[in-house]
Amino acid sequence: MSETIYRRMSDLPSTHLLGGGTAMCAGCGGLQALHQIYDVLGTKTVFVNAAGCMTLLSVYPFTPFRGSWLYTAMASAPAGAQGVRDALDILCDKGRLPRDEDLQVVTLTGDGAAYGMGLSATSGAIDRNLDFLYICYDNEGYGNTGQQSSPATPHGAHTATATGPAGHSGFKKDLFGIWVANRPAYVATVIGTEPLDLARKIEKAAKLSGPRLILALAPCPTGWDFDPQQAAEIGRLAVRTGIFPLKEYLDGRVVHTKVKRPRTPVEEYLRAQGRFQHLFEPERRQDVLDAIQARVDAYWEHWDPSH
Amino acid sequence: MYRIRFHGRGGQGMKTASRILGSAFFAEGFEVQDAPSYGAERRGAPIFATVRAAHAPILERGPMPQPGLVIVADETLLPMAAGGGVLSGMGERAVLLLHSAVDANTWKQRLQLACRVLTLPLRLEETGGRGFVGALCAGAAARLVGIVSREALEGAIRQELAAMPAQVLAANLTQAGEAYDAMKKHAGCVCEAPEAPAPGAVDANWIDLPFEAAELSAPDIHGALTSIQVRTGLWRTLRPVIDPERCSRCHWLCGSLCPDAAISPEAEGLPVIDYEHCKGCLVCVAVCPRHAIESIPEAQAREQEASP
Repeated sequence: MSETIYRRMSDLPSTHLLGGGTAMCAGCGGLQALHQIYDVLGTKTVFVNAAGCMTLLSVYPFTPFRGSWLYTAMASAPAGAQGVRDALDILCDKGRLPRDEDLQVVTLTGDGAAYGMGLSATSGAIDRNLDFLYICYDNEGYGNTGQQSSPATPHGAHTATATGPAGHSGFKKDLFGIWVANRPAYVATVIGTEPLDLARKIEKAAKLSGPRLILALAPCPTGWDFDPQQAAEIGRLAVRTGIFPLKEYLDGRVVHTKVKRPRTPVEEYLRAQGRFQHLFEPERRQDVLDAIQARVDAYWEHWDPSH
Repeated sequence: MYRIRFHGRGGQGMKTASRILGSAFFAEGFEVQDAPSYGAERRGAPIFATVRAAHAPILERGPMPQPGLVIVADETLLPMAAGGGVLSGMGERAVLLLHSAVDANTWKQRLQLACRVLTLPLRLEETGGRGFVGALCAGAAARLVGIVSREALEGAIRQELAAMPAQVLAANLTQAGEAYDAMKKHAGCVCEAPEAPAPGAVDANWIDLPFEAAELSAPDIHGALTSIQVRTGLWRTLRPVIDPERCSRCHWLCGSLCPDAAISPEAEGLPVIDYEHCKGCLVCVAVCPRHAIESIPEAQAREQEASP
């Protein structure tokens, strides 16, 4: 067991580093996770941000960060991170930047970039063993342009490009598994509604070097169609139903950090969101609901077979 | 040309309203242009959308400085200057339609407007509590311009809400129809205005920028935390208020789960909400285990602040 300074909820940061006044939606689950992550990472960070909702965090002359931020095209944030990392290394080598003032290079992208457009650049960065921390805020669609389907969109969800009676026909890509297959330094899933679990994982990730992924599920009032006030309940249901497993990969092993027994039926999570309403009304799509539940059950049967 | 501007908050359906009205105009044989403002269309943020309709090709582009009809879905937007101001460019012949529980005469006096002011009664229960009033506002607008038939309006709603479940579509058709009927007395009060002549062509006052070295043209700018100058507290329609009696001084639930990091404890440990930046999502109200945070309408909170 590695030491953590986050033993209980009261150890969590009480004052916050990320500034208010950003253009994220009211109730944004991505911003909820990001501000918690930033509190743990601290100010010695430089963010490399691919196009997406969070592009609008820093719109000149406004920024919520206390340090630097670089904007890249959607597919190339890991390449941008490579450039920043190289520049920092050169500055350190030349003695122009004291080693103790070196910065953590953080890539910040949505799921569109992380699961889809930017996956090639990510793959290259892992090949080169780039020392960077990749944060993906996953709201399961291209949210900034009106929630079109992305490779992270779950089966059955209604999106701007999946409007049929059964919703999105594809299945959410396993980005965690893709990263793990490459044996990087660290991979973890987090959610803003589990702040203690999140803080411990970020603390761990920050101490490591090499490619690291933090995959944050980001309940999205706008794209998932729910009242912003429900954001926390939906995040908690994502964990309680087991549809979003909280886990980490370290030293060749995957460990689940929260295992709910018994799990809440996934229907409760789906029913709370407008993007799944067509599975309940006008008539109940038991076939689709069963297919979604079966995938969740099969996942846990594999990882937690005794329950 | 008819010029209509819809103002509301992200999520209320003003973009959809503009599309419904645009499609209805189109069905009546008009050339149409409808577009939402781009860039800040965020849940709760002030947004606007415009519709232009004419029998000749429309050459105007961009924002709408002189609307014939302005529809405001949320009265709390009226005092705000954001987005060029809800009331900007309203001449004497313009019509203002407010979705409000307060009557039109009171608004006319409050706002000191020379133009015609109408209200569309606020009935939240009809919107399913979600505040979607796009079809309602489009229905009222369709009647006010006077030349959009009920059939064209309904056809446009069916077209624009085709992806919605049948009962949502039905509810929106009903709402739009009621708004259409409610505006009967004022049918046709919105006037067409001629295509604005291009302002006298004036040579652009170009400023020559000489080539500069990189350190001059791309200077290092160290401006941390400047976003706090943006007052996103203006997005709020409901205000979370912490009851210090009930609060257990655990800051980590409301403080950690507030998406905007707008809650931090003061010296005594009592969490304090930064109302300059709180967007009113009310996640804190939902997660407080002691139920120590309640929400009150923003307008009521401001009135309480104003009276000592």
